[in-house]
Amino acid sequence: MKKTTVFAFSLLIVLSMVLSACGGTATVTEAPTAEETKTEVPPAEETKTEAPAETEAPVSQKDTFIFGRGGDSVQLDPILVTDGESFRVTGQILDSLYKFEQGTTNPVPALAECTPNENASVWTCELREGVKFHDGTDFNADAVIFNFERWRFTDNPYHFPSQVFEYYEAMWGGFDENSKITAVNKIDDLTVEFVLAEPMAPFLANLAMDSFAISSPAAIQAAGEAYGTPTVGAVGTGPYKFVSWEEGTEIKLVANEDYWGEKPKVKNVIVRVIPDDSARFLALQAGDIDALEQAVVEDLETAENDPNLQVLTRPALNTSYIAFNFKIEEFRDIRIREAIAHAIDKQGLISNFYGKYGTVATNFLPPLLLGHNPDIEDWAYDPELSKSLLAEAGFPDGLSEVTIAEDVMDADGNVVYTAGQKIPLRLYYMPVTRFYFPAPKEIGEAMAANLNAAGIKVELYLEGDWPTYLGARRNGLLMGLYMLGWGGDNGDPDNFLGYFFGNAQEPVQMEGWYQNKELADLLDLAVTLPDPEERAELYRQAEQMLHDDVARIWLGHNNTPLILSIKVQGYVPQPVGAENFEYVFFSE
Amino acid sequence: MGKYILKRLITVIPTLIGVTLIIFLFQRLIPGDPAVAMLGEHASEENVARIREQFGLDKPPFLNRDALVEGDLAGFFDSQYVRYFDRLLHFDLGDSIHRRIPVVDTIKERFPATIELALLAMLIALIVGIPIGILSAARRNSLIDGVTRIGSLIGVSIPIFWLGIMEIMFFSVMLKWLPSGGRLSPGMTIEPVTNLLLLDALLTGNGPGFWDALKHIIMPAIALATIPTAIITRMTRSSMLDVLQEDYIRTASAKGLGERVVLFRHALKNAFLPVITIIGIQIGSLLAGGVLTETIFSWPGIGKWVYDSILGRDYPIVQGVTLLIAVVFLLVNLLVDISYAILDPRISYE
Repeated sequence: MKKTTVFAFSLLIVLSMVLSACGGTATVTEAPTAEETKTEVPPAEETKTEAPAETEAPVSQKDTFIFGRGGDSVQLDPILVTDGESFRVTGQILDSLYKFEQGTTNPVPALAECTPNENASVWTCELREGVKFHDGTDFNADAVIFNFERWRFTDNPYHFPSQVFEYYEAMWGGFDENSKITAVNKIDDLTVEFVLAEPMAPFLANLAMDSFAISSPAAIQAAGEAYGTPTVGAVGTGPYKFVSWEEGTEIKLVANEDYWGEKPKVKNVIVRVIPDDSARFLALQAGDIDALEQAVVEDLETAENDPNLQVLTRPALNTSYIAFNFKIEEFRDIRIREAIAHAIDKQGLISNFYGKYGTVATNFLPPLLLGHNPDIEDWAYDPELSKSLLAEAGFPDGLSEVTIAEDVMDADGNVVYTAGQKIPLRLYYMPVTRFYFPAPKEIGEAMAANLNAAGIKVELYLEGDWPTYLGARRNGLLMGLYMLGWGGDNGDPDNFLGYFFGNAQEPVQMEGWYQNKELADLLDLAVTLPDPEERAELYRQAEQMLHDDVARIWLGHNNTPLILSIKVQGYVPQPVGAENFEYVFFSE
Repeated sequence: MGKYILKRLITVIPTLIGVTLIIFLFQRLIPGDPAVAMLGEHASEENVARIREQFGLDKPPFLNRDALVEGDLAGFFDSQYVRYFDRLLHFDLGDSIHRRIPVVDTIKERFPATIELALLAMLIALIVGIPIGILSAARRNSLIDGVTRIGSLIGVSIPIFWLGIMEIMFFSVMLKWLPSGGRLSPGMTIEPVTNLLLLDALLTGNGPGFWDALKHIIMPAIALATIPTAIITRMTRSSMLDVLQEDYIRTASAKGLGERVVLFRHALKNAFLPVITIIGIQIGSLLAGGVLTETIFSWPGIGKWVYDSILGRDYPIVQGVTLLIAVVFLLVNLLVDISYAILDPRISYE
């Protein structure tokens, strides 16, 4: 018996020893990257300062910037992806011909400087001289042409059939003969000429997108389909070079000493996945990482009051909204749409759920974009007005049930809703948090309460998980009011208004069956105008049209917060595109 | 015995086929398209169609009835499941839909991390749970017994995410003793042999590597071990109590054998059978159920990966990992059954 007790006790002792293992003896000196995990600092140095002493490391030792994030990159071949987590990394490894000026959506020259002809349909681009890819090959006209031809031609040997170049299609109109870039001609080794099918105002903004960064042709030829996967990584001209990618865990980069631009100040970058929001914040507090994106509200408050941390905000390039499904008879009456718009307390929702990071939206275009219309007078929050509008529209007792206007079919052609069918009025809420909707279910509940107070009784409706929700939206089957939003890709107004309401290839069901020919024609014209002021005028008109038609209820713009260690300097949040880690350095 | 094991191994095959069928069916019953899940708000008609075609998702899930009506027998069998099964026979689990890399590669990379964590958690559960369970039964209604019963009740009911966050808050943020997550510090390398880092560090004589890996694994292992420790403690205790009431125990005590001999020689062996069963089940659920622990501690295992894959409708990953876990589970159960025969000679499988 005694033996058992002794055993149990010794076990406890062993465990507590393991737990109390102070890092004094454990040095990770093999690391070529003298990393700075606080546990590894020899105790002798810990005593040299007071206050938050343990978190201090001499600046000379701190040569690794560790960024914590919730999910992994999908791929590092930037043409294959559309997710921010992939671009966060590819943006360090590769350069595009243009880039977005720090902290703005203005495209400025990077690998090239382009000048248009008089109607902006031919652009001549002078390439930067003496730039080399990380594999030592030259960046030149051939490399640019190789990349653009790979993307554009579906029969190009490097346009692998298994790959979807989604952004090329979205931003340049399609592949092969549908591409708005009809030719990329080599003038000389350092000059290329882009010929466009029609004038295209967002040309430079598109060039600046992370997706259209220039990869080393030699690297693509060598790796084939595996280019961009964890084993191969990517090869560009950027400030950091790819080192390794442990899938789901972290991606390591090292400074490119021969970078053509401002030389990176920190030698190593690690982009680490910490899936849990709270654990990520704790890792920042513990000093295991230097910066993070996406934190829960309580942690943000803690961060604001923590002298060791700083909170930066990324200027909003996003909009959340409530959409109407126009297959519902009642929604075709503008008075009902207005009644709903007047019933929602936008300011209340924003202050309660977005906190100080959100602003009320009156436009689809966020304020920092060209064409944002500041003169739009928003629908006032006025439940009484809502009630009288409803009464005027024939619903003096309020609205709780709606009528299907015509048969609605699913993707397979089965009738899901029949004309004349009565269904409860639903408010579909998003099943996941997105950057534009911080707490969708709670916001949905609050909106339902708003609507209820104005006599509009909605049933809060959950349409499965995120893929299910998006699928139903795509087929126009979110049959009621529904929540969604958009984050811009290239900082151009066409990427908001044109993408949603232009005469595009997209079927109208995706936008709740909303159709407005006049608006679509206006937007199609706006995208071709070379003069920004002329364009802005048209977009302002478009915003006014959307407002007058109560096409949608714009809710908010979210300036997403980032939390960094107070020692991180030079980090500028970018509204669009990857942030530039080469400017980051550590203060003492 | 040999014949029995062979027989059991053969019955594994139809079970596994059943597993593939069920997981295939259930995944396709969840609405939501992998292509839409992948493309998000951007999903265009054309791209969705292209991805569906590439991964054969445009084919019917099981059998193509329309083709049979037209008398096209090859077309009848040209379904997602048949294609999947055909690949499986060639040991090909397919490629991830989102990342386009072979599922097998990722399993090779991530499964060892899960195994390592599960084994260590199990080890902790055994060396804590069994002695405490025995002690508690031997000293029934004593203070130790009371503490054990309350402790194990807390253990089974404690929320893992809370415990994990508390561990990080205390040991990483406040005391700064342990890293808040991951498997190794940046810059630290351990030469891979088995990909179980602790073992590899020992095998290659890498002292600092072992220490670093241990510091990373200890918090998640304790979090993951909490529930099995509590369950094993309770099971050992109640099973011991049952056995201690048996006549032969009284006989043994009556003829003057010491308490230790009675407990360990006579009681424990018999009390162990139900405990072994529980251990078998727990190993299975440790392997499959580490999602929360892996998420909180950014542990690069399969738990979080599969969870994300289910949400993203990445069918090949979910199928591959489910199959793998089924295989492990069946093998563990086989081992459990074999150990019965060893522990209790009266049990025969012939």
